[in-house]
Amino acid sequence: MRGLFRWSRKWWPGLIPLAVLWGLAAWSNTVPLERSLAAAASTALKNDVLDKTRIDVAGRDVTFSADAFSEEGRRSALTSVEGVPGVRLVNDRTRLVPEAKPYVWTAVRDVVRVTLSGSTPLPAIKARLQEAAKAALGGVEVVDQTAFARGAPARFDAAVLLLIDLVARLKEGKVTLSDKAVTLSGMARELGGREAIWAALRNLPEGYTVAANDIAAPPYVFHANKDPVGATLALSGYVPDNKVHADLVAAAERKFFGEKVTDTLKTSIGAPKGFAEVVTRALGALSRLSTGVLTVSDREVTLSGDALFDGAANQIRQSLGKGLPEGWKAKAEISVKPAASQVDASVCQRLFSDVLGQGRIRFESGQATINADSAGLLDRLAEIALRCPTAAIEIVGHTDGDGDAAANQALSEARAKAVADYLIKAGLPADRFKTSGQGSSVPIADNDTEDGKAKNRRIDFLVR
Amino acid sequence: MAAFMSFHWGWLVGALLLGLAMGWISVVQHGEGLSKPLARAIAGLLVVIVGAAVARVVPGRPGYWLDLGLVMFAAYLVGCVVGAALRDRLVARQMAAGRIPPRPDPPEPAA
Repeated sequence: MRGLFRWSRKWWPGLIPLAVLWGLAAWSNTVPLERSLAAAASTALKNDVLDKTRIDVAGRDVTFSADAFSEEGRRSALTSVEGVPGVRLVNDRTRLVPEAKPYVWTAVRDVVRVTLSGSTPLPAIKARLQEAAKAALGGVEVVDQTAFARGAPARFDAAVLLLIDLVARLKEGKVTLSDKAVTLSGMARELGGREAIWAALRNLPEGYTVAANDIAAPPYVFHANKDPVGATLALSGYVPDNKVHADLVAAAERKFFGEKVTDTLKTSIGAPKGFAEVVTRALGALSRLSTGVLTVSDREVTLSGDALFDGAANQIRQSLGKGLPEGWKAKAEISVKPAASQVDASVCQRLFSDVLGQGRIRFESGQATINADSAGLLDRLAEIALRCPTAAIEIVGHTDGDGDAAANQALSEARAKAVADYLIKAGLPADRFKTSGQGSSVPIADNDTEDGKAKNRRIDFLVR
Repeated sequence: MAAFMSFHWGWLVGALLLGLAMGWISVVQHGEGLSKPLARAIAGLLVVIVGAAVARVVPGRPGYWLDLGLVMFAAYLVGCVVGAALRDRLVARQMAAGRIPPRPDPPEPAA
């Protein structure tokens, strides 16, 4: 070994084949080595949450660019790449995802698609929200244009999941979450959608508020059509619940004595306040028309048709808008049906009997006050009375057999007078009417049954 | 370095074998080889190159090629040393057995 230095001076010729070997090694290994390092770096980053990750390898040096969601995550990812065996240098091009202030998320729904934009905090949340949107919106196209940003408020994902559900209830519109304030605008898909959205907004996570809710809903429509040819009253549209539904149909049956009620009403939330009361009253006005249409759209009542005579038309026009709850409007487009031809007294008597055979004049129990449900019937009686202007008419009251005979006598007289007063107020001359009461002395049915008693409580019109 | 060695082991073995062959030959080869000043200059250059590799001042692919060259050169040197040592021991054993006459070391050239 003493000659090592001497020998080493003779080793240089081997450098020539070594250089050739080196060249071959560099030529054949560079690209495979780079690929191997890139794959190893990608594997090392598998558990790091990053966006826009890019790994470029030149030789053994890695240029690593990525957007991290926290400083800790950024450092961890860098360490992962630095720890890849074989890597010599890491050029750090990582940065933090930008911070958004205010933190805004928006969903816009139009006819064909829902577009999500604004910011989301993490890839997992972005994917979850996108999936939730697709599930909630059925077949509607969802375009996700959200970008990552830091600074999301606490429970951002829970709030946005709820808002996605609201977007599904819109026909079109926009829902925006700015920090913790929610703004909604647009048109609800269904009747009652506005109320349903308000109710759902109560479930927003704590601290979140509704800055503005300008969601409109399709109008709440109720429709009634009185058709004298088919002798039908067709009810359609919406009612708030089953009780109101039953009440309105029962009221229609009381008010429209000659018409068959056809009912295609549907139940839906979203009725304006005072709906049942207004519709019941408006049905009373419709019952006084010969032919007519009643439309209640949100808080607007429109009644059009033909009244039986001038006095009734004026009364209907004046009474329709009176005493409506706040915010309601009424519009009466009432004309007067052409006057029917005049007839002699005997025809008039037959017409009175026919009408009173179909319906009876109702009074408040034990009183002489005419029930509002009988307005339509009384208008028909007034119209008949106008057809025989020269005939004198005696209005006779009857009661059932219950109670004291004297009291029944007084009640029957008072009720007959109330009917005469109604007709006089409708424009008929007072001198044509004479009133009397028979108490319970002229029954037409058995007073032992409720049905019989109801028949005995009556007003008769006798043409003289 | 372990990953680097395992990735290039075939080429390193090649360099080592080349070194072994060169070392084996160098013991019995006639001639002076490199002059001392040139050897020193080469050694100095090598120190600079090794320094550059350790300091990682050469970036990207050239940096990798430099590392690869140096590691192969190191393997070559190890091969040379081992080859020369083995040949030297063989020659010494044969000389002791009298099969070949000892050869005096050539005189050192005057400085």
